[in-house]
Amino acid sequence: MTKGWRAILRKEIRSEMRQRSGLITTVLFSVFTVITISFATFDLEISPQLGAGLLCVAMLFAAIVALPRAVLIEEEQGTGDLLRLVAKAEDVYWGKAIYNLLFMAITSLVLTVLFLGFTRTGVAIPWLFVACIAGSCAAYAGTVTLCGALVAQASNRNALAGVLSVPLLLPLSFLAVSGLRVALDLRGGFNVGNGAIAGVGLLCYGAASLVIGPYLFAAVWKR
Amino acid sequence: MLTASNLGKRYGARWLFRGLEFDLGAGDCLAILGQNGSGKSTLLKTLASLVPPTEGKVTAPGNLGYSALDMAVYPALTAAEHLELTADLRGCEPRVDELLGRVGLQSAKDQQAHEFSTGMKARLKLAIAIQAKPEVLLLDEPGAGLDETGRKLIEEVVAGQLKTGAVILATNDPLERRFATLELEVGK
Repeated sequence: MTKGWRAILRKEIRSEMRQRSGLITTVLFSVFTVITISFATFDLEISPQLGAGLLCVAMLFAAIVALPRAVLIEEEQGTGDLLRLVAKAEDVYWGKAIYNLLFMAITSLVLTVLFLGFTRTGVAIPWLFVACIAGSCAAYAGTVTLCGALVAQASNRNALAGVLSVPLLLPLSFLAVSGLRVALDLRGGFNVGNGAIAGVGLLCYGAASLVIGPYLFAAVWKR
Repeated sequence: MLTASNLGKRYGARWLFRGLEFDLGAGDCLAILGQNGSGKSTLLKTLASLVPPTEGKVTAPGNLGYSALDMAVYPALTAAEHLELTADLRGCEPRVDELLGRVGLQSAKDQQAHEFSTGMKARLKLAIAIQAKPEVLLLDEPGAGLDETGRKLIEEVVAGQLKTGAVILATNDPLERRFATLELEVGK
């Protein structure tokens, strides 16, 4: 990995700080989602299963809405050729994947704080909760960056990015729900061992998607 | 410096160009001519490895300079930040002040590209294209959108490049064609 990825990351952060399109959209989405959930469940106690499912769905949609744009925007604004001429594929992948990871970390932080606060949901096993959220962030960042690259040159790229993400993100959602429902279970009804396996699985999924990503990205980035 | 061997590109059943052979050295200027939609830009992109050929191959040096009308710049970055970004990615010196001075954008150094006119964007792309001192410079309709001063700038850049390397122009402009040592018409 050369220092080129830092240049890409700097470019992404500068562009986002000046345009603020992606972050504002995602934070607003997170706020509205949590407020709607808390309004719908105002007088109900949210079960760990339901809480885990709602949190995962909110994170999944925030990721699908925002993350592919880091790659797709290069084609939409016509800067893809400039980047292909001057940058190595691995630098582009790492710059954008790390940007997506930071973006997802901020989104997840906002989302989980709002979710736990508004829905009055408690966390029974904090380390497992953090592992599940961190693993999900890494896996979403790696997988969705790659999906963005795969569809970048297709004419119906936005729709295709969502469709292509489904088979890659479904196993991730299963793991995240399995881990989070244990982490949120204050009554101890679930097997902690199964939750830990899911948490480790999520972290491995995240690491694998980030490690395999550059090789697949290099194959699709150049036309 | 740049060699094309039996180069061809087809979209569907239509060949834009086929069987192209040329070998460019320092001081050579190839002008690619043709009507709109004839494949001039596609040929230039094929030579820059931005589009794969259907048949044949291109042997090109690693440091190509390329500028085209349909290639955009980042709207939220300033002119200086563009040159810093491309220098970091290429691993060369940014030469921000020197390059912006050369293309007449010194006063717009800290201005974001979304505030630029078409001509200013063309000048910035030209600065990026020549930043790494390329062996071959590929310019697609370089005079489009430029005023008289901008056109003179293109002439200076092309003349300077021909002292040490080669130039390929996709153009129908008679003023730009006068640099050509070789002409190639596509889409016939």
